[in-house]
Amino acid sequence: MCNCDECEQWMQPYMDRVLTDAERAEAEMHLDECAYCRRRYRFEQHLRRFVRQAVDVEPMPAELKHKLATLRTPLQ
Amino acid sequence: MSETTREPDARRLATDARDRVRFEEEALALSDQVYRVARHFVGSREEAEDLVQETYARAFRSWRSFTPGTNLRAWLLRILTNLNIDRGRRIQRQPESRPLEEGDYFLYNKLEASSDGTSDEDRVVQRLSQNDVVTALSEVPHDFRDVLVLVDIGDFTYADAAQILDIPIGTVMSRLHRGRRILKQAMAESAVGSEP
Repeated sequence: MCNCDECEQWMQPYMDRVLTDAERAEAEMHLDECAYCRRRYRFEQHLRRFVRQAVDVEPMPAELKHKLATLRTPLQ
Repeated sequence: MSETTREPDARRLATDARDRVRFEEEALALSDQVYRVARHFVGSREEAEDLVQETYARAFRSWRSFTPGTNLRAWLLRILTNLNIDRGRRIQRQPESRPLEEGDYFLYNKLEASSDGTSDEDRVVQRLSQNDVVTALSEVPHDFRDVLVLVDIGDFTYADAAQILDIPIGTVMSRLHRGRRILKQAMAESAVGSEP
């Protein structure tokens, strides 16, 4: 099983789902047993959602959508 | 020209027109996502609108260079990235020089320490305001921010981001790693100040 330092290093790759199966299993075993890392893992999950919502932008203006449609090649 | 040679030509033209119409419709269906990325890549709404229009004008002109069955969203955003660079956005070659916190738990630890001892994850995140995040993201240098925008906000894979930005996948990973650290440090400074 990995320790807290390794878990910390693996946290982002774990959330990005790019760890190997063996690494993932080790990280999950550690998270199951370590409340310190589990709290930080849940924080990272909340944080990603929060960042995404915080920087969300307004929908594309309808006029722009219309302008893009006018760029299409006219049918012969 | 005889009727027999004209017929295959007409068929080819009809196929060509049908493929082009399909391409244009599929590209337009992705315009909301393209606009969203553009909005994060450039400073203002007006600039983003111009950039998206230029992107679609170029995409419609060069539709034949798109390989059907490959990732159209990434292809469109590759055009957008190139145009953005052409418009004067210099690629930052110099490395971000600010010393960064080593650990990934840094932000949690900092917010927890400043929030009357609570360790509840929800309440710790609530120490951050929307403004803290927006300001922090704007402080991340372009090279790192572009990767953050694509992967963490746009939900693109590492491979898509590599294709869009025309950089190796290893560079996407290292920029993402550093970009997240820079963002976290800027959020911590914005939320609780830069004192230790």
